[in-house]
Amino acid sequence: MTDATLPTQVQTAAINRARLRNKRNAADFRLRAYGITAISIAVGLLGILLFTLVLGGYSAFVQTHIRVDFPISAEYVDPADPAEGNWRAVVSDGVGALLPSDSPAQARQIAQILTNNTQFFVRNAVVADPSVIGGTLTLDIPAADIFDQLNKGNIDRNTPEANRRVTDQQIEWFDSLQEQGRVSTPFNWGLFFNADSRFPELAGLSGAITGSFYALLVCFLISFPVGIAAATYLEEFAPKNRWTDLIEVNINNLAAVPSIVFGLLGLAVFLQIFGLPRSAPLVGGLVLALMTLPTIIIVTRNALKAVPPSIREAAYGMGASPQQVILHHVLPLSLPGILTGTIIGLAQALGETAPLLLIGMNAFITSPPGGVLEASTALPTQIYIWADSPERGFVSRTSAGILVLMGFLLLMNAVAIFLRQRLERRW
Amino acid sequence: MNAMTENKGSTLVAKPDQVVIPPTVAMKGEDVSVFYGAKQALFGVNLEIERNRVTSLIGPSGCGKSTFLRSLNRMNDTIDICRVTGRITLDGEDIYDKNLDVVELRARVGMVFQKPNPFPKSIFENVAYGPKIHGMVSTKAETEEIVVSSLRKAGLFEEVKDRLNEPGTGLSGGQQQRLCIARAIATKPEVLLMDEPCSALDPIATAIIEELIDELRENFTIVIVTHSMQQAARVSQKTAFFHLGKLIEEGVTEDIFTNPVNKQTQDYIMGRIG
Ligand SMILES: Nc1ncnc2c1ncn2[C@@H]1O[C@H](COP(=O)(O)OP(=O)(O)OP(=O)(O)O)[C@@H](O)[C@H]1O
Ligand SMILES: [Mg+2]
Repeated sequence: MTDATLPTQVQTAAINRARLRNKRNAADFRLRAYGITAISIAVGLLGILLFTLVLGGYSAFVQTHIRVDFPISAEYVDPADPAEGNWRAVVSDGVGALLPSDSPAQARQIAQILTNNTQFFVRNAVVADPSVIGGTLTLDIPAADIFDQLNKGNIDRNTPEANRRVTDQQIEWFDSLQEQGRVSTPFNWGLFFNADSRFPELAGLSGAITGSFYALLVCFLISFPVGIAAATYLEEFAPKNRWTDLIEVNINNLAAVPSIVFGLLGLAVFLQIFGLPRSAPLVGGLVLALMTLPTIIIVTRNALKAVPPSIREAAYGMGASPQQVILHHVLPLSLPGILTGTIIGLAQALGETAPLLLIGMNAFITSPPGGVLEASTALPTQIYIWADSPERGFVSRTSAGILVLMGFLLLMNAVAIFLRQRLERRW
Repeated sequence: MNAMTENKGSTLVAKPDQVVIPPTVAMKGEDVSVFYGAKQALFGVNLEIERNRVTSLIGPSGCGKSTFLRSLNRMNDTIDICRVTGRITLDGEDIYDKNLDVVELRARVGMVFQKPNPFPKSIFENVAYGPKIHGMVSTKAETEEIVVSSLRKAGLFEEVKDRLNEPGTGLSGGQQQRLCIARAIATKPEVLLMDEPCSALDPIATAIIEELIDELRENFTIVIVTHSMQQAARVSQKTAFFHLGKLIEEGVTEDIFTNPVNKQTQDYIMGRIG
């Protein structure tokens, strides 16, 4: 080539390189932009979800209470046996002193400002402390749902009376109580410590939380050992042949089976064939265990696979038996992974609704279960029941229930992260 | 090429004790063939491993050195597709006998791997593990004694005596390999198999380990796989040359390196194959 062509070649090469570089940079930039957009969308959606839930649910975390002075006369309540008093009369005495009324009908209406179960609150307080008999008992009684809503500003006073769920008279009564300083809005502990109720102001999650706890306990006790044993066998002992391949494929498929199918299975097998009680956390836990099992098997196998083969070789080379290799070396090393996977599997099970609906864990049950065989609801099914209820008070309680559920999920995931870091930090 | 032979000449000066004790056979392979599935990796190998000697296995990559070594303590059992035929004996006992306990065999024939692989446990636990699972110790004092003496024999004790409870994985590569040697000799094996124990180490760590091998020979029978002719010449009394799954030549190390009978052996040690 002549001298003249050389610089041109160099130039073209430089231009080519520059073009390539620009292309590369642009591609890099695009990839990063896609990622950032995706994350923004995800975070945005999550934000909207949380925002709506908090907005809808925060009012359920407080509850309107009315302070009432109940005269406990020995005429109605026998100090020897306080449980058997004429509580209806005690309540109407207390309510009668709140506001003036013209007629017995009006007095009954006034009584409805308080929750329907007022007499039980009074009775429980007297039974707990019988010394008040003959004196006056002052109690903060939850207000009935419509007054709770009125107090929380969920009922617009400007709408015409006909379109409102509270009458002008009721508003007047409530305002008068407020002037007397009898209305308070403390934190709603009942949301956590009460069981379900027909009355929103009394409905709480304790039954659902207990039910979910029992169901998860059963689920864990079954799926964790069975899952680990199955995964260990498949990973460490099973010969690699068509049968184990088939089992592996099936386990992977099971993990993807819609949860409602497990519910049907539970209904057909546990309830109809084994005759276990309906709505029981035991059955719920069994069904959830079926669902969680494939997840635990898969994460355990992955955790076992991640243990470096050199550790196994070292142990075998020392003359450790297969059992010793697994128990002394492989399982301890894979435990962080197994635990994390298990907790995430359990968190999934906690939020699972469909299978529990099929085995009847959406029944209306007003006391927490005393054991795994007693009928109960679970958190997600309780939310489902509330979401289906017409009363205004249940709308906010539905959101509050979801927030509580998400709180538990968050807690479980935090535990998973904590455990993993704790166990992995050792070496 | 000349430089290499000269170098060898200097390292191959026979030590007086090498010829004094008549060798006895610790392990013996008779017509050993190994298959990985349908693929045959070893073809009818006959080799005697002499007691209190270092035997080195040399040969180009893929010739079956590791395969032979691993069949000596049945580590090949852990590979599903692997099949061994022929006879391998330890003190005259067939190690592939149905009634023989593999666990016990591996306690008697220890192994050190190419890459240092201490357990992710403390230095102490690493060494104590073998004696514990083989029921060689019952008290804490016994365990401690065996740990300390093994670490001493492996030439590691002075370096780690203040941090026996720290993780073994926190040591340097050379220290880790010596820890693995300590771990292997803690079970007091008769034979110690080493598969390229120095290939992951720098020259200084290598020198330490070579020295160690020479000392260990007093108490153990050692089989070592190595890619370094110099190493084979320095540490071993007997050398076996493998090529394409066949044992081509074996004999006193000095003879193999100075006077190989077989053309292939000659080519390999001259650096023409491999
Ligand atoms: N697990 C295995 N499965 C299938 N084939 C194997 C396996 N291990 C070794 N082989 C084959 O057996 C032959 C001998 O391998 P081996 O590991 O014994 O060689 P080597 O002499 O130790 O080589 P290197 O010096 O590279 O370590 C090789 O052809 C190898 O591909
Ligand atoms: Mg090898």
